[in-house]
Amino acid sequence: MNSLADLPRTTDIAGQPNAAKPAVRIDGVSKAFGDVTALHEAWLAVGRGEFLTLLGPSGCGKTTILNLIAGFLEADSGEIFLDGAPITNDPAHKRQIGIVFQNYALFPHMTVEKNVGYGLRMRGVDKTEIARRVGEALELVKLPGYGGRRPRELSGGQQQRIALARALVIRPKVLLLDEPFSALDKNLRSAMQVELKEIQRSLGVSTVFVTHDQSEALSMSDRIAVMSAGRIRQIAAPGEIYRAPADRFVASFVGDTNIFQATRVSPTSVIVGGFLIDVMPGPLEGTIDGQEVELFARPEELSLTSAGAPGTLPAEVVTKVYQGGYSDFYVTTPLAAERVLVRIHGPAALELWPEGAKIGLVLPKTGANAFPPGE
Amino acid sequence: MAQPADRPFLRLFVTPSVLVAGGFIASLAVILQYSLRAHIPGELEPGGFSLGNFTDMLKPLYARAFVDTVLICAETAFFTLLLAYPLAFALVRAKSPFLKSLLLVTAVTPLFLGEIVRTYSWIIVLGNTGFVNSVLRGLGLIDQPIQMMFTKFGVVVALVHVTLPVMVIMLSAAISHIDRDYEKAAASLGASPVRTFLTVTLPLSLPGIIAGVTTSFAWTFSAFATPQLIGGGQVSTISTLVYQLGFANFNFPFAAALSFAGLVFTIMVIALLRRAARPLEKMGGHA
Ligand SMILES: Nc1ncnc2c1ncn2[C@@H]1O[C@H](COP(=O)(O)OP(=O)(O)O)[C@@H](O)[C@H]1O
Ligand SMILES: [Mg+2]
Repeated sequence: MNSLADLPRTTDIAGQPNAAKPAVRIDGVSKAFGDVTALHEAWLAVGRGEFLTLLGPSGCGKTTILNLIAGFLEADSGEIFLDGAPITNDPAHKRQIGIVFQNYALFPHMTVEKNVGYGLRMRGVDKTEIARRVGEALELVKLPGYGGRRPRELSGGQQQRIALARALVIRPKVLLLDEPFSALDKNLRSAMQVELKEIQRSLGVSTVFVTHDQSEALSMSDRIAVMSAGRIRQIAAPGEIYRAPADRFVASFVGDTNIFQATRVSPTSVIVGGFLIDVMPGPLEGTIDGQEVELFARPEELSLTSAGAPGTLPAEVVTKVYQGGYSDFYVTTPLAAERVLVRIHGPAALELWPEGAKIGLVLPKTGANAFPPGE
Repeated sequence: MAQPADRPFLRLFVTPSVLVAGGFIASLAVILQYSLRAHIPGELEPGGFSLGNFTDMLKPLYARAFVDTVLICAETAFFTLLLAYPLAFALVRAKSPFLKSLLLVTAVTPLFLGEIVRTYSWIIVLGNTGFVNSVLRGLGLIDQPIQMMFTKFGVVVALVHVTLPVMVIMLSAAISHIDRDYEKAAASLGASPVRTFLTVTLPLSLPGIIAGVTTSFAWTFSAFATPQLIGGGQVSTISTLVYQLGFANFNFPFAAALSFAGLVFTIMVIALLRRAARPLEKMGGHA
C-alpha cells in the first residue's frame, strides 16, 4: 500500500532476509573534543524496526552519538555499521539516514513541498514520482494540502511533522531524532509522542531517539540506553531499566527513588532497620557481607500504615500532595538521610494521616535494588 | 512605546543628529536651487529660474556618462561579490583562529588606507611600466604593455579594492547567521557539499548579498578620486563630470543638477534592491 512502508528493513539488496543484521551497530567508538572526552568506547546495536532511546542528562554525549551515526563527526576510534556494512568513512550525504533536528531545520526559503521533496530531488527521482511520494508523506503526518505553505507559516507541531515527513520520504535506513519535542508545550508533546510512535510502528523504521526526559524515554522506547558523562551505563527495555537499574546513576536518573541505609547480608539481600529485604542480584558484587550499602526503593513500592505496626519503620508525615489518581506523601525516617516519597493510589489515603502524624513505613520485601554507597 | 517627552535624555542624544541632518538638508536645498537656475557663461553667479539643466542632461554625452557610471558600478559590485564571497565564507567557517585573523586583516586593510594612497598604489600596479606589465614582460608573455591605466577596466579594478572590505564584512555577517543545521539536514538528505552550498547556503545568504551589492553600488556611484586619477579623464562618471563642470567650466548650476540627478538615481536603485530583498530578509537564520 504505502510506498513509505517498503523500507529496506526486512530484506537486504539481494532480497535475502537480514533480520540478523542490526540496523546500526556502534563498535567501541570514542570521540574527544580537545580535552573533553564526549564518548568513551561506546558499544551499541539498534535492531531492525527497533525504537531505541539515548537517555541522559545534558552534555552526556547523546548528540555526539547521533552526529557520529549521521556522519557529521568522525570517530577517533571504533567502527560504525549500517545494515551490516561499515560506514565509518562514508560522508554524510552517502549514508541514507533520516534526521529530525531539535529546531526542525526546515529550509526557510522553500515551500513545504520542496522541503519534503528535497531528498528525492537530490537522488534524481523523477518529478511525478516525487509529487506522489511527497503527497504520501504529507498524508502520513496528517498534513495533506500543506505543500504550498512556507515553514514560517506553520505552528511548531506542524513544522515538526513536516521535518519528520522530509526525513522519512527518503526511506532512511535509520531515523535519528535529537530531542525533537523539547520545544513543544506539554499537551502537544504528548500528542506528538503518540503520533511518532504510531508512525514508527506502522513503517517499522529503525529509530534512534534522543531525550533527557526519562518519562518520554520510558513511554516510547523498545529499549533505552542510559548515558552519563560519555559512557553508556545500561541498555535494556524500559521495564528492566526501571526495575533493575544497573547502577546508582541509572536508579536515580530514571524514575523517582528513595535511599535507605542498609547492611549487606548476602549478594541478594540486605537488612534495613532490622528487616531482611531481598534485592536484585548484580549490583552488590564487589561488596562483602556486613558492609554498609544503600537500598533504593521506588515510591510506589513503599506503603504507609499506623504507627508501631509490626514490620514497619517509624516515620512522620511532613507534607502530602494530592495528585488526582494518587497522593504523594513526603515522610521522614531515621534510616533515610533525605525525605522519603511514598506514592499511594486511590483517594482514601489523603484523609488518613494529617501532616505531622506518626506513621509506620512499610518497605518492600522483594524487588528493590541495593548499591554500594556512592558520593 | 513611551513618548520622547517622557524621556528627556533622548533629547540630548537626538539633538546632535538633528543638527547634522539639518545641515545636510540645507545644503541639499542649496544645490537644488542652484540646479534650477540658468548658467551665464563667464559669470560665477547663476541667472534666473530655468529647467534647462535637466533637459540638457538628456544629451548623448551626459546620458552616456550615466550609463557608463551604472555599468562601472554594476561591474564593480559583481566582481567584488565574486571575490568577497569566498573570503567571507572562509572567514566565517575557518576553524583555526590564526587563519581567521589573517583573513580578516587581509580583507579589511583597504579600509585603513587613505583613498589617495590606495589610488596611487594602483597607478603603480597598473601603469604601462607598472608591476603587472613588468612581470608579464619579464616572463616574456607580452611585447607591448597592456593598457590598464586610463581605462574602465583599471577603474573597476581599483573600485573593487575599495568596496571589498565592506562587502566581506556584510557577507560574513549574513553567512555567520546561517544555522549549520540547515546544511546538516541537506547532507543527510543526500546533497553533496557543492549542492548543499548551491541549494541551501547560497540562497540563505542572499539577504547579505543584496545588502552588500546595494552598499557597493551606492558607494562606487559617488566615488571620485579613483575614477578621476585612474581614469585620467578618459573614463567619465557622474562624479568626474560634476567636478569638471564645476571646477573647470565653473558651470555650477549644471554641476548641481547632475549631482542631484545622481543622488535621486542612487536612491531609486537602493529602493529597488531593497524591494527585491524584502521577501528574502525574512528567510535567513531561524524560521
Ligand atoms: N563541537 C564540539 N566542540 C567541543 N566540545 C563539544 C562539541 N560537541 C560536543 N562537545 C562536548 O561534548 C560533550 C557531549 O556533548 P553532546 O553530545 O552534545 O551532549 P548531549 O547531546 O548529551 O547534551 C559535552 O561536554 C560537550 O560540551
Ligand atoms: Mg544534545
